[in-house]
Amino acid sequence: MTLTEIRPDAVPGRPIAGRSPWALAWARVRSDKVALVSAVIVVLLLLLAAAAPLIAQWSGHGPDDQFRDIGITAQGLPVAPNGTFWFGTDRLGRDLFVRVLYGARVSLVVGVLSTGIAALFGVAVGLLAGFYGGVVDTLLSRLMDLVLSFPYLIFAIAIVSIAGPSLTATIGVIAFYSWAAIARIVRGQTLSIKEREYVEAARSLGASDARVMFVDILPNLLAPVIVLVTLLVPAAIVFESTLSYLGLGIVPPTPSWGNLLSEAQGFYRVAWWYLTFPAGSLLLTTLAINLLGDGVRDAIDPRTERLFSRRRGIARRRGARTRKG
Amino acid sequence: MAPTRHLTIAVVAAATLLAAACQTDTGGGTGGTTTPMPAGKAVPGGTLRLVGGGDVDHLDPTSTYYTVTNQILRTYARQLFTLPASADPKKAVEVVPDVAAEMPTTANGGVSQDLLTYTIKLRDGVQWDTTPPRPVTAGDFLRGFKRLCNPVAGSGAPGYYTSTIKGMAAYCSAYAKAFEKDRPTPKALADFQNSHDIAGVRAKDDRTIVFTLAQPAGDFLNILALNFASAAPVEYDQYAPDDAAFRQHVISDGPYKITKYVATKEIRLERNPAWKQESDPVRHQYVQAIEVKEGVTEPDSVQQQLEAGSADLAWDLPVPTAQLPRLASSGDPNYKVYPGAVTNPYLVFNLQSKNENGAMGKLGVRQAIEYAISKVAIGKIYGGKELNTPLHTAIPPGNIGYKEYDPYPTPNDEGDAAKCKQTLAAAGYPNGLTLIGAFRNAGNHPAVFQSYSADLKECGITVKGLPVRQGDYYGAFLQNPSLAKDSKWDISAPGWVPDWYGNNGRAVSQPLFQTNCSAGTSNYGCYSDPQVDGLIKRALAEPDATKAAELWHQVDQKVLADAVIVPFQNQNTPIYHAKRVRNAMYLPSFQLFDLTNLWLDPPSP
Repeated sequence: MTLTEIRPDAVPGRPIAGRSPWALAWARVRSDKVALVSAVIVVLLLLLAAAAPLIAQWSGHGPDDQFRDIGITAQGLPVAPNGTFWFGTDRLGRDLFVRVLYGARVSLVVGVLSTGIAALFGVAVGLLAGFYGGVVDTLLSRLMDLVLSFPYLIFAIAIVSIAGPSLTATIGVIAFYSWAAIARIVRGQTLSIKEREYVEAARSLGASDARVMFVDILPNLLAPVIVLVTLLVPAAIVFESTLSYLGLGIVPPTPSWGNLLSEAQGFYRVAWWYLTFPAGSLLLTTLAINLLGDGVRDAIDPRTERLFSRRRGIARRRGARTRKG
Repeated sequence: MAPTRHLTIAVVAAATLLAAACQTDTGGGTGGTTTPMPAGKAVPGGTLRLVGGGDVDHLDPTSTYYTVTNQILRTYARQLFTLPASADPKKAVEVVPDVAAEMPTTANGGVSQDLLTYTIKLRDGVQWDTTPPRPVTAGDFLRGFKRLCNPVAGSGAPGYYTSTIKGMAAYCSAYAKAFEKDRPTPKALADFQNSHDIAGVRAKDDRTIVFTLAQPAGDFLNILALNFASAAPVEYDQYAPDDAAFRQHVISDGPYKITKYVATKEIRLERNPAWKQESDPVRHQYVQAIEVKEGVTEPDSVQQQLEAGSADLAWDLPVPTAQLPRLASSGDPNYKVYPGAVTNPYLVFNLQSKNENGAMGKLGVRQAIEYAISKVAIGKIYGGKELNTPLHTAIPPGNIGYKEYDPYPTPNDEGDAAKCKQTLAAAGYPNGLTLIGAFRNAGNHPAVFQSYSADLKECGITVKGLPVRQGDYYGAFLQNPSLAKDSKWDISAPGWVPDWYGNNGRAVSQPLFQTNCSAGTSNYGCYSDPQVDGLIKRALAEPDATKAAELWHQVDQKVLADAVIVPFQNQNTPIYHAKRVRNAMYLPSFQLFDLTNLWLDPPSP
């Protein structure tokens, strides 16, 4: 028998089409409802954040405009949600809806930029360490260990105390804290990929180090890096909120979710909206990005374990056993 | 800080103080009991429970400078004179005798005709809690004065003493010099104190202490009534001032003594058996014990405990701002608002700053800012107009020199952006400017910063925020004039609560406006004007209270004409106590209740 004997109509249904790994991944994402919903939320959030100035202009409420007559009571209490202020106001009479949207911009910028910088730096360091091995690997690996062993919040507080709080300082601190985790993963992947036959083949054909690294190895690192980045972005957003909450992040009056939460903490008993909307936005965003990341991870690399088990799977059963024991 | 003053002889009762609204009022000359009549019958016993966040600043009366600590210090350390607890706000700021037997006057020979010598007799029956109990002597007070400028933990305000008592400044500089290199061991410190004398403080015998002043000072008894001037027993010579061992061995001459002190966690005080009611005209021993629990840093949770009755008083936290409207409208009898006599916060300009072509040094720019601020909006951050009043003067009401006038009026105190813009353009900044606004990143301070920044924005002034840690704000930031000279900040909103009220130019106008650009200054922006310095000198030397008040008012006028600060508001003090706390008397200088006059009904919760 030869391969030519297989007739196209031997398999029922549509003819088999050759599909690239990316097309396969896309197909898997499409069939994952949770990932799809998350993706919609993330896109919506991005749109809202991008449209914040338009919304501010349309409503006539700038993010720093203090409506001292209608946005605050005579005793200095915020005003509850109403037709004018959809999310209510804050303690200075500013529109909380507009501020939450502007806060989203800060949070997303910090999340994406800091993770982007961390990814660039992490991939570079991990690739060099994994590819060259030896002294280079030892040095860079110890550097990663060093960074990973920093008590990050104390470190962040120290840095901000010296440099002074600002957007750049916040992004820098988060990037510094995140790159080592990426570098480690990339180094491990590089170590295994560089032993593969096709890399050997490329080498025997006389490819330069740079070509091997960038053309042969790098594309194969994309999947784990993308997965990691989708998980690091929400972590960065939460970290930014933590810093801002402690008064070490974004300098007011620029709204960030952490700033809003910090301002709201004295008012939670008298103004539920003040705390609820920023906290809800933070929760929704990080959850959506996390779940989306989970879906992407499933799609790109189905063998790995999920963060949240949604199908009856090994993870859940293992959990049940631990509880019994 | 010490101004040289000329002697002007006039008859003055040393206790003459200026009470609120600038009315003169002669204090009692006899030293009889001034304890207020308690409302209802006192119920003895029970443990008073205070809950709050942080620890005391010091336990040593010499160095304590935190009103929160003062509230318990009052129970274990006594001074020659003190401020009484009184329901009458005027009486509450008038000095009365404590360990002193009576008020010294020229009539009873306590004050010499030239007003330079104060001879003070001590009351009988005041005892240290030692075994056996020992009387508090003039020597103990002398030791207290000698400890004032120790190099380990000295007084936070030595200037009050060095500027009044003869030879105090020389003694203090000799003390500092002696330990420039030497290690200040407890023994070395005690040896220095026991071998050096202050020219102006002398223990004539065990029961008489004599002070000689460098110049007459109408506020001298106020200075003697501060906690820094407490008596110190001979046992204190064994410890480095306020070190850990000292804190475990504080000796009381008041109605309570410290029986437990665990740093940052708890303090417990119990009745002092050596204390006798008949030898204390201001304090009582109603409650059995006082207990301070620390570590609760959230004002809201303290408030909930007070309302639930699981705690009696807040230790160091204010009533949460967001709760004030609810408490005010509910008519809760345990919630009270006491009138303030403070300027808190106010906006100070860094006159040294070179930013924006030295904008802060230009009168027109500062005057423009005077017009821009909405004082009503700032007031809302602190709970609205029931809790504070817009302030137009540099000296707030209740302090000498206060007279209402408004040099920079705006409609309803809500700011006038147009007038600001116009003044700013005339000053050479038609296109606005950018300033650095330093603020404490805690409590209401970020909101205050955002409120005045928004006002200035309307006027074309962009304010870049510079957050400063709460703990660093005064000591490490504002009071460090090298930062001001380096143009690190342009404007900021500190607060000022005077150390005493009434005749207190030395505690308000002098620290805030007299030329002083050295480390630790309270004239943060380094304002310097020879006319103001001259007025302050004259006012401090003026024995006639009415004339002194006029001089202080001229200081106020000149300072505001120069637009050195923007007064925002005079803040009242809201306090809440648990239902069972009775006879809670407000002490204006501490902004807290007098723990030695209240009782608990019922005593067991």
